[in-house]
Amino acid sequence: MIKITNLEKFYRTEEVETIALNKLSMHVDTGEFVAIMGPSGCGKSTLLNILGMLDDPDEGSYVFNDIEVAHFNERKRADLRKHNIGFVFQSFNLIDELTVFENVELPLIYTGVSASERVKRVEEVLDKMQIMHRRNHYPQQLSGGQQQRVAIARAVVNKPKLILADEPTGNLDSSNGNDVMELLTDLNEQGTTIIMVTHSEHDARYSHRIIRLLDGQTVMENIMV
Amino acid sequence: MFKNYFKITWRNLMKNKGFTAINIAGLAVGMASAALILFWVQNEISYDRFHDKEDRLYTMYNRSRFDGKLWCWNTTPEPMWKSLKHDYPQVDQATRARDAGFLFTVGEKRLNIQGNFVDNDFLTMFSFPLMKGDAKTALTVMKNIVLTESTAKRLFGNDDAMGKTIKIDSVDYFTVTGVMKDLPNNTRFKFDYLIPWQYYEKTDNGGKESTNWGNNNVQTYVTLKPGVTEDFFNSRVKNITRSHSDIKDIDVFVHPAKKWRLYSKFEEGKQVGGKIETVTLFSVIAGFILLIACINFMNLSTARSEKRAKEVGIRKVVGAGKASLIAQFMGESILISFISGAIALLIVELSISGFDTLTQKQLFIPFGDASFWLLAVGFILFTGLLAGSYPALYLSSFAPVKVLKGTFKAANATFSPRKILVVTQFTFAIVLIISTIIVKEQLDYAQNRETGYAKNNLVYTVMTGDMGKNYNLIRNELLTSGAATAVSKTSAPITEGWSDTWDFSWDGKHEGEKIDFNVFNTDGNFTKTMGLKIVDGRDIDVTKYPSDSTAIMLNEAAVKVMGFKHPVGQIVRSSNGKLTVVGVVKDFILQSPYEPVKQMVIQGPSTWFNVIHFKLNDKYSTAQSLKLAENVFKKYNPEYPFESHFVDEAYGKKFQDEQRMGTLASLFAGLTIFISCLGLFGLATYMAQNRIKEIGVRKVLGASVMRVTTMLSKDFLKLVAISFVVSVPVAWYLMSQWLQKYPYRVEISVWVFVIAGILTTLISILTVSSQAVKAALTNPVKSLRSE
Repeated sequence: MIKITNLEKFYRTEEVETIALNKLSMHVDTGEFVAIMGPSGCGKSTLLNILGMLDDPDEGSYVFNDIEVAHFNERKRADLRKHNIGFVFQSFNLIDELTVFENVELPLIYTGVSASERVKRVEEVLDKMQIMHRRNHYPQQLSGGQQQRVAIARAVVNKPKLILADEPTGNLDSSNGNDVMELLTDLNEQGTTIIMVTHSEHDARYSHRIIRLLDGQTVMENIMV
Repeated sequence: MFKNYFKITWRNLMKNKGFTAINIAGLAVGMASAALILFWVQNEISYDRFHDKEDRLYTMYNRSRFDGKLWCWNTTPEPMWKSLKHDYPQVDQATRARDAGFLFTVGEKRLNIQGNFVDNDFLTMFSFPLMKGDAKTALTVMKNIVLTESTAKRLFGNDDAMGKTIKIDSVDYFTVTGVMKDLPNNTRFKFDYLIPWQYYEKTDNGGKESTNWGNNNVQTYVTLKPGVTEDFFNSRVKNITRSHSDIKDIDVFVHPAKKWRLYSKFEEGKQVGGKIETVTLFSVIAGFILLIACINFMNLSTARSEKRAKEVGIRKVVGAGKASLIAQFMGESILISFISGAIALLIVELSISGFDTLTQKQLFIPFGDASFWLLAVGFILFTGLLAGSYPALYLSSFAPVKVLKGTFKAANATFSPRKILVVTQFTFAIVLIISTIIVKEQLDYAQNRETGYAKNNLVYTVMTGDMGKNYNLIRNELLTSGAATAVSKTSAPITEGWSDTWDFSWDGKHEGEKIDFNVFNTDGNFTKTMGLKIVDGRDIDVTKYPSDSTAIMLNEAAVKVMGFKHPVGQIVRSSNGKLTVVGVVKDFILQSPYEPVKQMVIQGPSTWFNVIHFKLNDKYSTAQSLKLAENVFKKYNPEYPFESHFVDEAYGKKFQDEQRMGTLASLFAGLTIFISCLGLFGLATYMAQNRIKEIGVRKVLGASVMRVTTMLSKDFLKLVAISFVVSVPVAWYLMSQWLQKYPYRVEISVWVFVIAGILTTLISILTVSSQAVKAALTNPVKSLRSE
């Protein structure tokens, strides 16, 4: 599904040039659950942003579903992204002014799904995430665990082929964290490819494979048994 | 999708009530101000454009050289009309027009009403539709009269006026042959009735002027036949006066209806603008006020961008493109614009009558007019787009990677657009403040100018009915009853020049030189009644000096123009014969208090009179002596109501335009300052919230409240200071241009700028510091814990 080759990304300030990704190469197959680990500043998040087409690489190649996307413009990336990729963030990133239902509905609006179809699909996914009873609440009225369920619901409502999760349990206690990891595992078992950035060895154990990064390069790959 | 946008917009508005209120209030006030001004502009540009024959309608103009300048004016000789009608095949229709003022008597009702004498073509040339009667024939017979609807109502109540009889000036009986819709508020004409021209000829000594090409005393209008161009007709009509008289130095031309209102100023024989300058200026001001209100919206929206950034990021992550985000933010500003527009409409409706008083117009909101609503919606959309464009582009450009990681901070560059926008607002505000002060100074300066006569307790009344016949009785009784201490019969009120001529010559005048003099007639006691100062010789007095029937007095300006070393005793010749100078009066202001006093000849009693001036006796109260005077006039002129005018009030009217200008300028300045400060307040509030943590840290480290307040206010005051620096040369340039049109004008002093600067600074400090102090007083424990 994903094949990146010699990917490079630099950050420049006036005086310093930082290399975030240094000729990084990797691949992820359809249906895999991959965890990316490494210390702060190793380039995990940069990699995830590039994989999610929120950012573009300076050098190298990124092939997504057999399409070279490394040099797509913003509009093309947005188009590819909204049909294929769902995001889950550490800080949930729900829109405070929208209810649970409306937050989950958002991706469907941007992909032009009809209103009646939207209601059906949002209710279906809220039901699955067991937060149907909270559908008219605003994010501030929910616990952290509930907010992350809503965020996951939003990530999957469009039935993406790939979910990118950036420390999805980072703001949760262990019990809620485990629930979230169970949810991701379920999704993966149903066929969704998942790439997750995490600091937690515990969470990483849910994955099939761990890629460890240091200074923008792959240093080790562990296959989980 | 729109439902979703609307929902989030609405919730955002509700969540941030303070910002919403500031945004909506600013926009509403700005839109209302701009709308009021645009109503005024619309009224101005629509003047006399509604006539069906507007594109063929012209007024006749003269062009001639005198006092060393080429002048153009639109009063013409009476016989021009006849020649135009008969000798010029290009002319379709023609009419003369002249003011009429008669006493109307219907039963017990007696009213002095103003109208126009016109020729029969008038009603079919102009689109003043008759509700009753036939426009083609209503004015064919001398004693026919056409009334406006409200005049008909005043005279006859709800009865049908058609065919009814009106007694005019207690001498003639007229029959109502037409009732006209009241005049609209955008025409140059002001009349309550129309009377056939024949009647003017009858009352004006049997039409002695009807063949005189030397007396320019009527306005003449023509419609040209379809296809005849202005240039072509001008080439034909140029010599009309030359070919009918021995006047060889007057060119005649036409001025089209579409230029009457806005392009009526001529200099050196050329059309050089006119009211269009004020219309342009007001339109620019309207645009700026609206822009300033939109700038508030832009600044507050972008200042709050950090709060909206997360939303933008999330929307982009879940699939929103830039275009859909722009659409969303534009939608927001348009929604706010619509809410503001509705409030603005309410403000306009509530304030339009006040604005009417100020501008001397009858403006109204045309609620029943579909095109008004269309324009209103267009105006609102325009405002929404203008206000929303920059925020929409700015907000939609955020990169989700940055905003969602929490590393996003709005830029604080030296030349951020927000700062430039604030400077724009305050520059405009300060320019208006400076302008207001200068307009007021100029007004004070002119008002304090020495008039040259004693306005106090001086009264005049326009002669009607038997006043002329009984003048000597009236004068004697005014004096003996103690009502007045001096009485003088004159040709015009002392505050107005009703007559001028270049018909004078004297020894030493250059051959062929044309010099125009104001002409004033008096039967005597002129200087005593008016309180004028005689600088040489004496007043005209036929009772003492019978030969004074051909005496004249000059003002100092006339002595200078004529070049007399010893004016008293000099002979001045006119078409009425030889006149002898008996006295010289000190210059006094007859016309504009902004211009130098023009040369003037005061003629003796063998002339014509329209007005009686009298000085009230200060032995009694003003009311008492006026009452005594009224009794005298009622006794000798019983048919007419007594109407008097105080000269000081009449003189005060000379300043109306400038007073109005001053009031409007201060109104605009006030509104601009208000809207700008509203924005500044919003920004200060936002900034105080945003820097609450920094303030906490500073206070923990020992900063005092004063120090923190100063720190927070300083940034804003810097912007106000820059605005001041930018506005000074702009205001100086604009106001020196404005002052150019007043020969008698004030010097722009440095103090004006100092006052404006101090005023703006004080207002800004008040606006900003309340928020700064509030932020500085916050307990640091609270602000730091909230992290």
